[in-house]
Amino acid sequence: MAGLWVLGEVTPEGTLARISGEVATFARGLAAEAGQEVAGVVVAADPSAAAAELATYLPRVLAVSDPAAAERPWSFVAAERIAGLLEPDTQEFMFVGAGPDGRDVAGSLAALLGWGVLANAIGATWKDGGPVVEMSVFGGRLKTTSRFTGPTGIVTVRPNVVTAEPSGSTGKVEVVEAPVDELRQPAVRVIDRVVEAGTAAPIEEAKIIVAGGRGMGGSEGFKLVEELAEVLGGAVGATRAAVDAGWIPYGQQIGQTGKIVKPQLYLALGISGAIQHKVGMQTADTIVAVNRDPDAPIADFADLVVIGDLFEVGPALLAELRARSG
Amino acid sequence: MLRDAVRVLADERIAPRAAEIDRTAEFPWDVKELLASHDILSLPFPAEYGGLGGELLTVALAIEQISRVCATSGLILAVQELGALPLLLAGTDEQKQRWFPDLAAGRTLIAFALTEAEAGSDAASTRTRAVRDGDDWVIDGSKRFISQGSVADLVAVFAATETSDDTPRHKRLTCFIVEKGTAGFGVERVEHKMGIRGSPTAELGFHGVRVPDANRVGAPGEGFAIAMRTLDRSRPGIAAQAVGIAQGALDVAARYANERRQFGKPIAEFQMIQAMLADMDAGTEAARQLLYKACTEIESGSPDAARWSAMCKLVAGDNAMKVTTDAVQVLGGYGYIDEFPVERMMRDAKITQLYEGTQQIQRIVIARALAGRPD
Amino acid sequence: MHIVVLVKPVPDTASSGERLRPDNRLDRAAVPAVVNANDEYALEAALKLVEAHGGEVTVLTMAPSGATDTIRKALAMGATRGVLVTDEALAGSDIRSTVLVLAAALAGLEFDLVLAGVDTSDGQGGFVGPGVAVKAELPYLSYAAKIEPKPDDRLVTVRRISPTGYDVLESPMPALIACTQALGEPRYPSLKGIMAARSKEIVTKSLADLGLEPEGVGGAVATTEVVGSEAPPARAATRVVREAPDVAAREVVAFLAERRIV
Repeated sequence: MAGLWVLGEVTPEGTLARISGEVATFARGLAAEAGQEVAGVVVAADPSAAAAELATYLPRVLAVSDPAAAERPWSFVAAERIAGLLEPDTQEFMFVGAGPDGRDVAGSLAALLGWGVLANAIGATWKDGGPVVEMSVFGGRLKTTSRFTGPTGIVTVRPNVVTAEPSGSTGKVEVVEAPVDELRQPAVRVIDRVVEAGTAAPIEEAKIIVAGGRGMGGSEGFKLVEELAEVLGGAVGATRAAVDAGWIPYGQQIGQTGKIVKPQLYLALGISGAIQHKVGMQTADTIVAVNRDPDAPIADFADLVVIGDLFEVGPALLAELRARSG
Repeated sequence: MLRDAVRVLADERIAPRAAEIDRTAEFPWDVKELLASHDILSLPFPAEYGGLGGELLTVALAIEQISRVCATSGLILAVQELGALPLLLAGTDEQKQRWFPDLAAGRTLIAFALTEAEAGSDAASTRTRAVRDGDDWVIDGSKRFISQGSVADLVAVFAATETSDDTPRHKRLTCFIVEKGTAGFGVERVEHKMGIRGSPTAELGFHGVRVPDANRVGAPGEGFAIAMRTLDRSRPGIAAQAVGIAQGALDVAARYANERRQFGKPIAEFQMIQAMLADMDAGTEAARQLLYKACTEIESGSPDAARWSAMCKLVAGDNAMKVTTDAVQVLGGYGYIDEFPVERMMRDAKITQLYEGTQQIQRIVIARALAGRPD
Repeated sequence: MHIVVLVKPVPDTASSGERLRPDNRLDRAAVPAVVNANDEYALEAALKLVEAHGGEVTVLTMAPSGATDTIRKALAMGATRGVLVTDEALAGSDIRSTVLVLAAALAGLEFDLVLAGVDTSDGQGGFVGPGVAVKAELPYLSYAAKIEPKPDDRLVTVRRISPTGYDVLESPMPALIACTQALGEPRYPSLKGIMAARSKEIVTKSLADLGLEPEGVGGAVATTEVVGSEAPPARAATRVVREAPDVAAREVVAFLAERRIV
């Protein structure tokens, strides 16, 4: 079958990962523009729930059940099974979420099939039989447009690039049994899955992020960031300096060596806005910063900056927001 | 890579201390510890004694980067190299083994004591005397203007030992290592100076100081030659200090000129300022390139070492004085007050025209090399 | 233990000088190259492992020939030697070529582990780790927060960061592991390391050395291409608020309300 494919990722609870709804929406829009078919594929030990959910976005979903997906790292199992489903010498494009698992699938699949990859699409149109993908590079200074030179390729899409929108009708789920043949992958086993209390939800998915930097002064200072995040219903983020100082776990680091995020609101406290951090958040819809230094780089690209002591402005803002939410 | 590593260290850990070091005129022991713990003081020493076996150029690069933010701090490395050079050039393996490991680790400091109140440019007329007594020598006299003389654990002292009337002037001296705490050896005073105020410049007194012959460096009467060969290799260190000071001042002036607005625009857009900054930049780069070239020439054993050494120090010292003076000028009134570092840099720069041979002595060295050149 | 670390020289983002060439390829000469920040974490993890278990670290890079300078920085951190795969035919390589070449280079090396950064600051894809693992037929363990080799059993255990905490993976060695920052801050090269790096070995390999044909790699056979670029729309001018905290807070909330965020 030619056309567009969407990878459906599965949460530990067996439901469809949020990013997959977004990628499905993205691909569906492109398929409509292109006059192409679009289908989803879910690979899991039990794919039924996630496949059913993905079918609310796409007209057709392949649900591949494979027990190996529970015993082995999921991404390689998924990549191998998907590679087996795709037909050689047809025009096909795969759309995958640009989270850790999605990137692993994309990289594995690209190597298995010899396909090219375009990473971190912020938009796409259809031209001359293939997707033309927009990407943001050089810390946001440039937007490039790229395409595949052949009839195949993989596109990864970051969280929050589109809002997930069900199609309004329910697509068809086809159950596929995984072939019995052995997986190629040398045996990596999952021997334990540990849930850690206090692990934050993936920050890339948050609509609102309140982030603290070196100016917070310590993990005590970060309580202010947490309280503001809570009243706004958002997630807590941090710069590399704060993570290196041990005030907050690495999973919440935003920037060149952390996560790239695109929330509706990024509220930055005590963050200078140096380029290594800026690349992680500069495409946020709205950026508000509180900083003592009017010459801090963030004062140039924020939408609103309060010049002041964050330990005075922060609590005032907290009080104002609390009063407002009643 | 080494330049960048030292630069980062200088910017992050030494620069914030520079003004305070100048104001309190106290030797920055914390900076010395920092340099020691980052192996910077081990650069001049051979690897077999715990050093990094750095060449002249490597040491110069490090001195330059430190001096950019603090001339006093840059001097710590320069003096460690200067004081150790007599041993590097003429010491026995036993002497090197005895003293180098601690010096390389920065656990001990060494100073170079040649100058006297009445023997500055005319170093050969040194009056401090050392007299043989059994297996020892007994030293009497006094040395003046000895950089870091009051904080050094070891001092390389040049004393007259060959005092018969027919001894040529330049064969009278012998070099000895005197250890702090030796009876009769003490600091008589520490000067109050125009610049490099954190670096203690001391007058050292020697009253019947007894040192074993094992502390003698080189042969009796070889001292002056050792001192001159030392200076040939240490002058680039001062040139490096001067280039660093100049660069630091230029950086401040250039940044100021871009930010300071008068008559509706940054003063960097006015041609008289542009001309000054351009000359400062070109002069500093020329001094720098001459320094680097001199280092590689001297390191490779050039017979013209004296000429290269004198030249790079001459050019760099004069450039540093000019650039820092102009930097104050660019900053105008702000250049004269201690809110900006350029007034300190100007005061610091002056010494590079004076020590390790005045600029006049450098010219004599160069002229002699020129005269002695075969056609 | 013998560990190979994949290191990529990338334009220094702090310079803000990165740009494309007229042919839309990344201009690698525009700004000085530095070791990709995420690769430094992989290198640090490797150095810690050989400090604990004994052994050596080899840095493997595919880059233009000037990359020896960047490799020296990795050597200054403590790696033992570098291998640079460089060939004019590799210019403009895409993920497919890169993965093919790196896997071919690994075939000529002996190792217990290959460590890689999760992605690069210039590509930002995260595809080299899994891609090389596939091509080199190595087990792939990603997003590692902890690496515990058991050399005697030829096994390695890895904690992989998950949305709820971490998964514990076990694999035979040799294996390829993509490393996260949770493994520890990269060390600054000491002066000793910098001086020692000058005499460490960097071996250069061409495509011919790897048994690869130039026609199969590089820009000519790239699977993707950049067809255009433009500056993104400028953000509206920043609104600067200098009022007292109470007043400022009210202004911020009003601003957020305007944008329907609260």
